[in-house]
Amino acid sequence: MSKRVSRSSRTMANLAGIVVFLLCVFPVYWMVNTSLLTRREIRSPDPTWTPLGGTLDNYRRVFEGGQFLDALRTSLMVTLATVVVALAFAFLAAVAVARFRFRGRRSFVVALLLIQMIPVEGLFISQYKMLESMQLLNTVLGLTIVYVASVLPFTVWTLRGFVAGVPYELEEAAMMDGCSRFQAFFKVTFPLLAPGLVATGVFGFIQAWNEFTLAVVVMTSDQKKTLPVWLSTFTDVNRGTDWGAVMAGSTLIAIPVVVFFLIVQGRMVSGLTAGAVKG
Amino acid sequence: MRMKKTLAVTVTALLAMLAMSSCGSDDDNTPQSGGPAKADIRVWLNGADTPQEARDWLKTTFEDQNPGSTLTIEEQQWEGLVERLTTALTSESETPDVVEVGNTQAPTFTSAGAFSDLTSALPDLGGDDLLQGFVDGATADGKTYAVPYYAGSKYVFYRKDLFAAAGLTVPTTTDEFVQTAIALKQANPSPANFSGFWLPGQDWRNGVTFVWNDGGDLAVDDNGTWQGSLSSPESIAGLKTVQQLFQQASGAPKDGNEADPQTPFCNNEIGMMSAPGWVTGLIQDPDTGCPDMMKNVGVFAMPGADGSPAPVLLGGSDIAISAKSPNQDLAQKAVALMLSDDYQSILAANGLTPAKTSLASQLGTDEFAQATIAAATNAKLTPAAPGWATVEGSRILEDLFVDIAKGGDVEKLAKAADDRMSQELG
Amino acid sequence: MTTSGPSRPNRPGSLLPLGLLVPAVAALALALGYPLVRQVILSLQEFGLAQQFGKPAEWVGLQNYRDLVADPYLWKVVVRSVVFCLVNAALTLVLGVGVALLMRQMSKPIRILVQSGLLLAWAMPVLAALTVWQWLFDTQYGIVNWLLTHLGPDFAGHSWLLEPLSFFFVATVIVVWMSVPFVAFTVYAALTQVPEDLIEAAELDGAGPWQRLRAVILPTVRPVLLVVALLQVIWDLRVFTQIYVLQKAGGVTRDTNLLGTYIYRLGIGGGDFGTAAAVAIFMLVLTVVLTAPYVRMMLRQEDAA
Repeated sequence: MSKRVSRSSRTMANLAGIVVFLLCVFPVYWMVNTSLLTRREIRSPDPTWTPLGGTLDNYRRVFEGGQFLDALRTSLMVTLATVVVALAFAFLAAVAVARFRFRGRRSFVVALLLIQMIPVEGLFISQYKMLESMQLLNTVLGLTIVYVASVLPFTVWTLRGFVAGVPYELEEAAMMDGCSRFQAFFKVTFPLLAPGLVATGVFGFIQAWNEFTLAVVVMTSDQKKTLPVWLSTFTDVNRGTDWGAVMAGSTLIAIPVVVFFLIVQGRMVSGLTAGAVKG
Repeated sequence: MRMKKTLAVTVTALLAMLAMSSCGSDDDNTPQSGGPAKADIRVWLNGADTPQEARDWLKTTFEDQNPGSTLTIEEQQWEGLVERLTTALTSESETPDVVEVGNTQAPTFTSAGAFSDLTSALPDLGGDDLLQGFVDGATADGKTYAVPYYAGSKYVFYRKDLFAAAGLTVPTTTDEFVQTAIALKQANPSPANFSGFWLPGQDWRNGVTFVWNDGGDLAVDDNGTWQGSLSSPESIAGLKTVQQLFQQASGAPKDGNEADPQTPFCNNEIGMMSAPGWVTGLIQDPDTGCPDMMKNVGVFAMPGADGSPAPVLLGGSDIAISAKSPNQDLAQKAVALMLSDDYQSILAANGLTPAKTSLASQLGTDEFAQATIAAATNAKLTPAAPGWATVEGSRILEDLFVDIAKGGDVEKLAKAADDRMSQELG
Repeated sequence: MTTSGPSRPNRPGSLLPLGLLVPAVAALALALGYPLVRQVILSLQEFGLAQQFGKPAEWVGLQNYRDLVADPYLWKVVVRSVVFCLVNAALTLVLGVGVALLMRQMSKPIRILVQSGLLLAWAMPVLAALTVWQWLFDTQYGIVNWLLTHLGPDFAGHSWLLEPLSFFFVATVIVVWMSVPFVAFTVYAALTQVPEDLIEAAELDGAGPWQRLRAVILPTVRPVLLVVALLQVIWDLRVFTQIYVLQKAGGVTRDTNLLGTYIYRLGIGGGDFGTAAAVAIFMLVLTVVLTAPYVRMMLRQEDAA
């Protein structure tokens, strides 16, 4: 997407982009800013706009309990397992529904939509009982199974769209050049799915990373808390919430997501090169 | 000084009388008992309320007295607690042995059979010395399923300097209190949101004091069916006082909640506020409050209509044993330790109202302790209806008080709230 | 040529596609099978906390549903929720797709900046995001009131949550802010698939930007767009946390309940799991009804492909 964009429209787009960026980031900035202020400054009639002359006390308090690293480990394991497993399973299913026509295909697609529509809020008790019967309470595996199921429908549907977006003619052309069907698929189509895998991967990552309702009932032992459950230990209805610690903890929780994205974002550029589709 | 001591003694006696006046049940239940002689007992405590000193004492003492057994305290959060208890207490493999539960949450679980019957152990745990309202709340069909852990009541913080500037003295009756609050607001026209008495719209927990004070109540047991009683003439009178305070004395947001009261207090926006004792700590801490102001801060128990302390809403926690716990005997030993004089004295020394009335004096002798004890003498609880949690869950009272703060017709609003409450409780 | 042509090359009776579905189906059945069946059973029972602790449950047939539908307040909440859902989903989609299209035009550094910004907003823990927004609109110390007051009009002490309309305005700002990143992100990923040459060809044929968008870009991203839109409708219909938190901060609960908070207060809050399950199934039906035309369109497109 290069030569096509005229200079003036690019400038306009860049300016608009900066506005979008600021709108997105302001609350995030406020979180980071707050995490560096004293509790007194946090709730004061005159806003403190910058953390200059701030304090690292909130971060110190957050690390004091020593539970952060445990929670980070649990969250990382659950989230990465969820992303990898969900992407793998969804990818296979997406290829099936996008590239093949078979009996039951339509029912599968509709069933996925229906599953997506089920309100999950009331399900946590049944899911708890299920994990209990499988002896998977307080385990990474148990939580991962449920998370995988909750992001699968969307991931299948979205990847299906991406697979369908790659013209089958490309694969046919490769096959004419002597590739087998599998070779053709993995050499031609698979690389073009990268943006879709990144987008759905980020989706799964954030869903699993921030989930609270199920984690709070399934992971009860101190060493097995996930990050959002750990974060909630700083809210205390009886003693007043330690907002500085909440914001410091939240900032720490947000960082790995950004790191994850920066690692995968290079894959987000267009896979289709000019000329590839002239078929 | 002597006055204070006398007060403390009187109060203790009063509490004891209060405790004795209620009737125990003499059902002869076979206690749920059993379990191995040695085990690891898991105790769920919520938030940071239980001081570290008490936790250490509990663990050490329990393990000394029960060689071979261990006791593990797992800290839980109030946030999501009901969900967590709803699930964990049903699981034989995962259930904690002993749990702390909010005193308004307890009735829901006791009537559901989540907790073991403690009736026969009650005399050993403190008997009539226990805070009776808590015991009543955890009793269903004559059986008691939970015992009080600690309580906390609110008292009034006021600004001595502002009182002096406006020529006011500490009020001794409810009427005086209302007049003082209004006068204080008028004497401080700036800032515009100054409160003679700080009362955010959602704060029914403070507002209900005035309903009780005039002889009204939130809900009453009418031959086995609970019904809202906010539209009784007595309740209406109390609610009108609340509306007067909202409109003439309070500068707090009409739909706000009572969180973080130290913020407006330290911003010189408050002349009087009713808050839990631990707010003192927040005001004293330079990080959270304004230690310089402490010299101007005084406290007193909210005065009632006749000059004795007004009925205030008592908060706090219960402890109970999970019915699914395989270690009933050991769990009961742990509960007994948590109600022992030694343990409860540690709680009292940390400002929590102890579960036993005889230990109230352990709270100390300073002004704050005196106010705590005085406030507790006439403290009340939310109605012991099994469905009460639903009323709080659907926020009927928050809605009612916000509408009253907005200046709505008290009688009409109270009637509507009664209908909704009766529906939830019926 | 057609941009998407999943021609169907497999021999009839091939087991390969079914095999590809096995892992996904197994995972879904494992994690959701029992809970779903139980949910349906619960909705036909009187099931409270006592039953949760082992008391046998009583079958009540459709009574839970009858009670539900007979409550006039439910229908008020339904209408409110549907309107809120449609407004929010539409706003989110328009803004999200707009941002995604804009990103195509930006220079690379700015694009990465915007992507990072979107991601930060998306990744911000919900507890922190809602707290910050609540502070921004706080009656006494909120920056919004502070700024407005400094700009002229007197907003000191203005309560944004007291009136339902104003309450839902604030809720919309928060919900849209929290959902736009997901839409922008996913749609942008889909846009990267649009072949450049097609756009150039269209441009040479004299197609303006609007025509290029309609004729070339939208058809390619349609499958993804439809999924994203559907998901947005589903999510916005059952929005819970944002409303729940705002209700704690201010406003009148009864006037601001949406389906999500209503179910919560009915079921989990009151320990009536039978009714809560019935509401959940009711919501499922409502979602199906609301999205039926849409889903039919998706399936038609599926067949046409």
